Amino acid sequence: MSDSVIKAGIFLLVLLGAFLWIGRSITNLTGGEKTVSAAVEINPEGGEAIYWGKGRCFTCHSVGDRGSAVRGPNHGQFGERFALPMGARAVERAKERSKKTGETFTAVDYLIESLSNPGAYVVEGYKNEMAVVFAPPISLNLDEIKAVVTYLQIQGGELDMEAIDSNPSDVTKKFYAKIAAAQAAGGGDPDLGAEVFADNCSECHALNGEGGEVGPDLTGIAAKGLKYIDKSIRSPASKIVAGFEVSEVIKKDGRKITGIKTRDEVGEIDITKADGDVVTIARVDIKKITEDKTKTLMPADLIEALTVKDFQDVLSFLILQKQKVAEK
Amino acid sequence: MNTQLSRKTRLVLPLVAGLFLVLAVAPALALEANEYRQFMGLDSRKVIWFLAQMHLFFAAFVLGVPLFAVIIEIVGWRNGEARFDKLAYEFTSLLSVAYATTAAFGGLLAFALFTLYPTFMGYMAGIFKDVMFFYALLFFAETFLLYLYYYGWNWLSGAKPFNMTTRRIFQVLGAAIVAIGLLFLFGIVGPDMRGDTRVFIAVLYILPLGAGLLIIRDPKSSHIMIGILLNIVGTAIMQLANSWAGFMMSPAGVDAEGVLTGSLWQAFENILATPIAIHRMLGNLAFGGLVAGSYAAVRFIGAKTQEEKAHYDWMGYIANFVAIFALIPLPFAGYYLGREVYSTSAIMGNNMMGGDFSWTFIIQAMLVGSLFLISNYYLWSGMTRIPGAERYYKFIKFILGAIVISFAIWLTPHNLPLTGAEVGQMGGTQYHPTLKFLGLMPAKNAVINLIILSTFFSFLLYRRGNKKDVVSIAAQGNLPRIVIALAGLAAIAIVGQYAAALLTMDPATLDLPADRAEYFRTVGYLLVFNCVVALAAVVLALTDRGKLAQGLYLAVTAFNVAIFLGVYGFVVMERASPFLRNVAVAQFLQLIACLILVTAIDLFLFRGAKEIGTLKWGKMTVRSQFALLALTFIITMNMGLMGFIRSGLRGDWHIYGVMRDTSEWAYTPSNYTMTQMVGFAVLVFMIGVAFMFWLGSIASQKSKQEGAG
Repeated sequence: MSDSVIKAGIFLLVLLGAFLWIGRSITNLTGGEKTVSAAVEINPEGGEAIYWGKGRCFTCHSVGDRGSAVRGPNHGQFGERFALPMGARAVERAKERSKKTGETFTAVDYLIESLSNPGAYVVEGYKNEMAVVFAPPISLNLDEIKAVVTYLQIQGGELDMEAIDSNPSDVTKKFYAKIAAAQAAGGGDPDLGAEVFADNCSECHALNGEGGEVGPDLTGIAAKGLKYIDKSIRSPASKIVAGFEVSEVIKKDGRKITGIKTRDEVGEIDITKADGDVVTIARVDIKKITEDKTKTLMPADLIEALTVKDFQDVLSFLILQKQKVAEK
Repeated sequence: MNTQLSRKTRLVLPLVAGLFLVLAVAPALALEANEYRQFMGLDSRKVIWFLAQMHLFFAAFVLGVPLFAVIIEIVGWRNGEARFDKLAYEFTSLLSVAYATTAAFGGLLAFALFTLYPTFMGYMAGIFKDVMFFYALLFFAETFLLYLYYYGWNWLSGAKPFNMTTRRIFQVLGAAIVAIGLLFLFGIVGPDMRGDTRVFIAVLYILPLGAGLLIIRDPKSSHIMIGILLNIVGTAIMQLANSWAGFMMSPAGVDAEGVLTGSLWQAFENILATPIAIHRMLGNLAFGGLVAGSYAAVRFIGAKTQEEKAHYDWMGYIANFVAIFALIPLPFAGYYLGREVYSTSAIMGNNMMGGDFSWTFIIQAMLVGSLFLISNYYLWSGMTRIPGAERYYKFIKFILGAIVISFAIWLTPHNLPLTGAEVGQMGGTQYHPTLKFLGLMPAKNAVINLIILSTFFSFLLYRRGNKKDVVSIAAQGNLPRIVIALAGLAAIAIVGQYAAALLTMDPATLDLPADRAEYFRTVGYLLVFNCVVALAAVVLALTDRGKLAQGLYLAVTAFNVAIFLGVYGFVVMERASPFLRNVAVAQFLQLIACLILVTAIDLFLFRGAKEIGTLKWGKMTVRSQFALLALTFIITMNMGLMGFIRSGLRGDWHIYGVMRDTSEWAYTPSNYTMTQMVGFAVLVFMIGVAFMFWLGSIASQKSKQEGAG
């Protein structure tokens, strides 16, 4: 028994040795050990640390011959395909955009757009699949994103700290606002939030002229603030918009109809039910009508049906709904 | 016996009591700043990693072995073969020390978590306090049942039937529970829950409980019932713990600040809880089988007599058979888990297959491919102990060729392992013009199906090794007609229901335009064709053309899953990418249907056939035993590696999107660190296993001496 155990042990050590060798070889090939990302300053060194660390940019991008990922465009100068490094490339792309739209668009605008709205310009031959860097699990904060922009800009370009940090353009400011709003909502992804809204909310709520009328129009809802939106989803009855209180109509034949009173004429009223159906009831048929200001048709358990991520996503989407229809 | 039992109970009780104490005083701390502590300056994450890994290794063994020990006991009981009963007992004897060690590591892990990660564990205890208490209580049940099962083996070995009233009571109770289980399975009774959770509960808890009660008729069957209960409780313990691991990846029932806004059930039944449990269940079975197999291999290598060699050769064969049985569906359970990870978070999914863990998956592919290759080698080696098997040696080179080519494709990464300079030389791309296709999912799905079919084919050759010729199925009465027809029906139902689903599927459900329905229909009609062939195979088998039936269905399945869908998968990927997952399901269902029907035919094709000679158990090379050992070592490494991926997918979050890891260890370790940690855990585990084997050997020596005396 002891001999056989020793033989088995030696065999195990050989296999473990091979296992370690494979792990070591692959680690050397893929950029070595990583370390925890400390708080960084808004400068290229900080951006480099984020790029090759917490930001996980390296899982899809390389910079010249540093790194080996090819899922996304190379950010350095690399072969014929990437004749210009990212900083210089951003200048060219910004010029193209300005020429095309007739509006001022800077290299920093382009770089920050690439991080906050990557689908706006997808490099030919690549998919629109970049992760939202300010949402979990990456969850970069605004300063970290700015730091990455400085790192990208110095790849063949001239660093413009003023445009990045102290005096950003209106275009960049809008992107910063989007990132800040999304982060305030727990780091959700507004694009996915739009899908969550379409699946769970739009049947009852309108947004920019589209959607149901059972609940209040949410166009420009961001003006109410994050806490208001948050509480309205968690506890709908705590914030009932005037006109959306629940009415309960008991007809003379004993039938009960519950919903929002959406029309009130002399001879008849309309009750819009939770499923969106509108029921017209003649006043002569009504035995009793009561209005309960503490009730709402919005499901109280909606928050239970949403995952944490869905909730963060939809919150980040709604906090960006600042533009009213009239302003469009 | 009593002394041993009380000593072990004394070991487990303080640990469980300690856990109770800590849980009872831990408030919900989700909203407070995270606190991290260290023990003797050690890296706390690595301490937890090691302890969790050790606990999981031992727990997987302790949960896996009873699963097949009970099945082997049932086989012995039904066939009246005492050697199976003895084998089941020998497997169970390995559990005694392992169980105490599992509990000890579990207690150590709990204390380490509460002391080193107090904020995180306080929060988890706040959310799952009820589940944790239930978990601890189940340990008492597990302890009691395990020792009753092991120490009660001889006590409950009698075959004297109970009186009729007692048997009727058990039968009525069992029938009622089976009926409830079926109603629950199909969603007619029971609360609303995820479909996979419902199936898990029905198939692994309610139906086995009912079936166990139905078979009770004497002390021996009562002992089997205890074994079934042991497995039910063990599975429940695993499921409860899995819910915590799943919650950390896909939290549910709580808001972004971690406050419980839903119910405990929602937190428990989070998206990933059941997929992880299914994957672990199969993994435990394969792992338990292989660790037990390594015990047999070590005993074989050290055997002094031919009798010993014969016994441990047979034991190793059974253990390997169990492992292959569990290994075959394991890749599909993994695919399902991966799909659900993508459903939870596309970023987490991308990070898994294309980000931090893409290279870890290459290592995993090497390990899984090795498992299948070595399993086949062991089967082929086993054919040397079968007189007459030399007739089938000629097939081995073709099977080997198919497996090696498939393995190579399985291993091929989408982007090649090149340095930056090498990428530059290739014009800035890592995608080889031809090889890049082998790195994509359609190719990988095709070859994993082919590897499994090849392994199954090896097993068929092994089974018929010493059989002179087939026997008439038609002459065997009604039993083959019923079994083969039922297997055919099952195959047609499995494939047919999916064909119907695909033929009526609306492309909009996959966010695809209406014209993409043609891709659904093509695969749907292919499945209909498979059903027609299954029907033909049943007819052929029942008219004494069983070999033709098997060959036809195997060939059509291999063509459909490996060639047609393998190639068509690329078309689908290009034109209707979201449908690719349905193609993978179509491949899997045809494979499973094939395994069911061909096995059913095989059972009767050689039933009672004349043998060329008897199996020469023990006539195995020592090299083959090292193959068994290699399988054990590799599956253990693979478990550690997969645990690293699953846990690492959360990135720097303790609880994804809810509680951030703000410790100094909040980064993804490299693959080298992973191999170091997993390698060390495997080494320590194997030393523990060797100790268990040594204890087992001195116990068996003692019983032999007593027997001789």
